[in-house]
Amino acid sequence: MGSILNITFFVSLFAGMIRLATPILLPALGQIYTQRAGILNLGVEGTMLMGAICGFIGACVTQNLWFGFLCGILAGMIYSLIMAWLSITMRANQVIAGIGMNILASGLASFIYRLVFGIRALPAKITSFQSLKIPVLGDIPYIGTIFFQHNILVYLTFILVPITWFILERTTYGLKIKAVGENPRAADSKGIDVARIRYSAVLVGGAYAGAGGAFMTIAYLNTFTEKVIGGFGYIAVSVVIFASFQPVRAMFGAMLFGLASALQLRLQAHGVGIPSQLLLMLPYLMTIIALVIASGKAVFPSAYTIPYSRMER
Amino acid sequence: MNEKTRKTAINAFGTICMILIALILGGILVYLTGNSPFEAYGAMLRGAFSSPQRISELFVKLIPILLMAFGVSIAYKAQLWNIGAEGQFIMSSIAATAVALYINIPIPVRFILSFIASLAAGALYAGLAGYLRNRFGANEVITTMMLNSIASYFLMYLVNGPMQDPTTDLSQSPLVPESMFFARLIGNYRLHIGIFILLAVTIMMCFFWKSSVGYRINLIGQGEMVATYAGINVKQTVMTTMMISGAFAGLAGWIETFGIQHRILDGIAADYGNISTIIALLGSLNVYGIIASACFFSVLLCGGASMQRMTEVPYSVVNVIQGLIIILVIARNMFADRLPQVSHKEKKG
Repeated sequence: MGSILNITFFVSLFAGMIRLATPILLPALGQIYTQRAGILNLGVEGTMLMGAICGFIGACVTQNLWFGFLCGILAGMIYSLIMAWLSITMRANQVIAGIGMNILASGLASFIYRLVFGIRALPAKITSFQSLKIPVLGDIPYIGTIFFQHNILVYLTFILVPITWFILERTTYGLKIKAVGENPRAADSKGIDVARIRYSAVLVGGAYAGAGGAFMTIAYLNTFTEKVIGGFGYIAVSVVIFASFQPVRAMFGAMLFGLASALQLRLQAHGVGIPSQLLLMLPYLMTIIALVIASGKAVFPSAYTIPYSRMER
Repeated sequence: MNEKTRKTAINAFGTICMILIALILGGILVYLTGNSPFEAYGAMLRGAFSSPQRISELFVKLIPILLMAFGVSIAYKAQLWNIGAEGQFIMSSIAATAVALYINIPIPVRFILSFIASLAAGALYAGLAGYLRNRFGANEVITTMMLNSIASYFLMYLVNGPMQDPTTDLSQSPLVPESMFFARLIGNYRLHIGIFILLAVTIMMCFFWKSSVGYRINLIGQGEMVATYAGINVKQTVMTTMMISGAFAGLAGWIETFGIQHRILDGIAADYGNISTIIALLGSLNVYGIIASACFFSVLLCGGASMQRMTEVPYSVVNVIQGLIIILVIARNMFADRLPQVSHKEKKG
């Protein structure tokens, strides 16, 4: 065990941590908007899957990765519209609606894949984004490799952290989101359209989740499988709770999970004596542990999961 | 006709409409794949009913999905969203197989021990999520989902490692002793005596909600305040509910192990977790509704598999139909809940 714990091991481990934090951080940032507005969207997993398949098809058909990425974002928004309709207009139980969304997505995604690509011996593949080395910073030994030699979507995701913080804390839109999540009745009496703000918050969350899904197929695995999201949506939801709905904390939370996934991959690559299937459990175990640590302390928005109606009081 | 029967009739009618809409939308998807929807559904029906052997398969399928749907419905009634039936099923079949393979005691005793171990595995695995919710407030949807992933990786580890059948490269364990196989009922058909266990459980379920434990579970579903005022220990009831719910999945795992698979193998749970959730919600968490829904799903799953073999239509159409049904049911339930509320307010005003 001692021989593998050298500097190269840690450099590739931490670089992997940054890369693998991305598909969790993206949906988590989006869910901060949604959950702050009082909607628990457990359908993120399914939304990511729709983003993954549509992003992949978009990139495959046009051979343009950015177009694919856009397709993923749009697919996420359109799909989350169903969640918004169920939870805001129909005032459905958000937990059941989320579970239903995930079941529908797993069927739809495999159906669409089959429809577009048919049955083939080898899975369809694409050439992904090249890694983009940031000048000067990328040349710093170790630090450069860890932080500044990733593909462009990784940088964009991390830039979204301060942007998300700014929008939520420093703009009227952010204020409105928090208002409808904390006290929709008061927000309504101040002339804020509760349903509209909540719809927009779910759609923003869907866009981020779709982007996260597309990242998996066009910027990480470069292919689509039914298991491509593999619980990342649920992990993102627990990262949001773990982070008490704060973007910066969500970044650290996502990095923690990135570290667990990267560690799992690195250890497998080094052929440590632990069977791969047991290592693969690591991120899921960590999610449970994170929820256990955070759930008691997290301060949930007061109107969390509660539908709003003008008629009731 | 009294109010209750009228409501049930409206409910049943609504459910049938939902299924029809989902089937029509599914038909459109079939058309998109360049096939005839009528041919596809025809193949599905023929695949489900055209021979005694196929009808036997319908019952074989019905056993696990109905048992697991009963199990999750008990948790859902208490507003505990246990989506971990799949993981509980896996843990139980692992326990059943491990006892059958490695504990060298007389077969009848071993059989009973495997039964206890299976139910305990399912109950404890679900109970773990209940404990985490009670003690730490961890959302049971996420924990049960994570426990599903952990269980399937654990199964993969076992069937590729310590429990792998040494005579093959396949991801499966050796067969359990043949004297532990469930007896088959009719000739070579796979239908086995597990169907009687299902029958017994179904009869028991008809009285479950009238029992004292059923009553308490129902009360915590009305909200923690209501239950506390009624003098119910909420945390204890959450644990009981989750464990009963898990034990049902455990029972399904035990029956599947000795009745059908006779071993554990990768993918043994075959999406039963999601399917049981859909069945429970489609049946409005009502015992008779669940029975009817499970029968429908048994036809859909068995027929869907032969439809894929006989036509060009991919099986994923069946998955989409499942998904559409659940979304429609969620939307329908809201309509049903909303309408009386509105009229009630209007009367007041």
